Amino acid sequence: MSAPHRGQPATGATGAPPARSAAGASTTDQLQRALDRISRVRGVRGSMWVAAEDGIPVAQLLMEGVKGKAVAALAASLARKVSGAAAATGAGRVRFVQMEAAGGTLLVAPAAQDLLIVALADSRVNIGLVRLEMIRAAEAALA
Amino acid sequence: MADDVRSLTAALARDPASLAYADLAEALRRRGQRHEALQVTLQGLVRHPMHADGHDCLARIYADLGDLERARLAWSKALEIAPDHLGSLRGVAFLLFRQGDLAAAEAALRKLLARAPGDEGARRALEVVRAGGAPAAAAPAGAPAAGPGRRVTEPRLLSARRPEVFHGFDGATNDILLLDQRGLVLAGGLTDAEGHDASELAAAALAGVSGEAVRTAEYLGLDAWSAIVAEAEQANLVVAPVGDGALLLVRRDRSMAVGLALRFAERARGIALAWLQGQGA
Repeated sequence: MSAPHRGQPATGATGAPPARSAAGASTTDQLQRALDRISRVRGVRGSMWVAAEDGIPVAQLLMEGVKGKAVAALAASLARKVSGAAAATGAGRVRFVQMEAAGGTLLVAPAAQDLLIVALADSRVNIGLVRLEMIRAAEAALA
Repeated sequence: MADDVRSLTAALARDPASLAYADLAEALRRRGQRHEALQVTLQGLVRHPMHADGHDCLARIYADLGDLERARLAWSKALEIAPDHLGSLRGVAFLLFRQGDLAAAEAALRKLLARAPGDEGARRALEVVRAGGAPAAAAPAGAPAAGPGRRVTEPRLLSARRPEVFHGFDGATNDILLLDQRGLVLAGGLTDAEGHDASELAAAALAGVSGEAVRTAEYLGLDAWSAIVAEAEQANLVVAPVGDGALLLVRRDRSMAVGLALRFAERARGIALAWLQGQGA
């Protein structure tokens, strides 16, 4: 796994042994490639696949110091709350969530198989670019 | 509305034993005359202690007054008398939702929908509860009156009078909502696809989002959060904190670019902040 633009990433996939698709690429490979693309965007401090239901990381590519488990749990919880609010407001199924804060941005995109793709970025990140990569990953991975 | 009150008052004067007291109380409640409504209802229930509609009305008044415990007791009494009383089933369900008891709220909503499958507000509330819910903390007993439009019951009923804070904004009364940290509506409004008021339900759900955002920002060392943007299938939502504890929701059509929606929300936020400061909040 190659490093993001700066710092030394802590990487890894968790969970069951990787399944292989018809094309031969393992699911874990697909997930990690998606994370690699997202993490190459300047300003991204980490990205991860998270089980939506319980907020546990499935695969991750993080810079040193980023608390993966906390990011995963909080992102899943936030996504759940926002989905509930979206249902209450008649907005329908949520496709992408970004939480902006003074010190950075948390981005979440629901994907197939009850997974979320999550990115944590600093406040100067090109959100449009990260969003593009995340939605592409969410639509393509595990399809 | 004034004519309703006059005619109902006259009807009750002609026949003090009439059940019209409940209609009169409801008319008064909708006008914001909650204490008068309470008097009428309590007097009516002395004559008709087994009148489920009267207990239902009493519960709504207590809910408006922020006395959720008495509201719960009154709805429980109504359901003792008439187990299928739809207004009371709805009231109990939304009360439980508001208090954060999601399991009980889901059970109550299922019960309500079994008897009233067409109740769109209940169906939507059930979706919210199943999605993990986001109830606001219960308003404490004796809390300041929530205003004529703020009820924890029947989100389908449009609130009558809310401050026109966003006058001149596109969607001022149906796409922009200002609420407090307890999930109570302050101004603006939100309607569902059928044009029914969904403000109360949305406000209750959004209060949970605010708390989650604060927690997330703190844990991750992101400092204060400034906005949440949710892109959804039917609309884009922007949620932003306003001042000390208030929250703004702006709903925009999917056709509006997210960046524009954010700018629109920022303008609305400025208006809301100025208004809150003018209220001394």
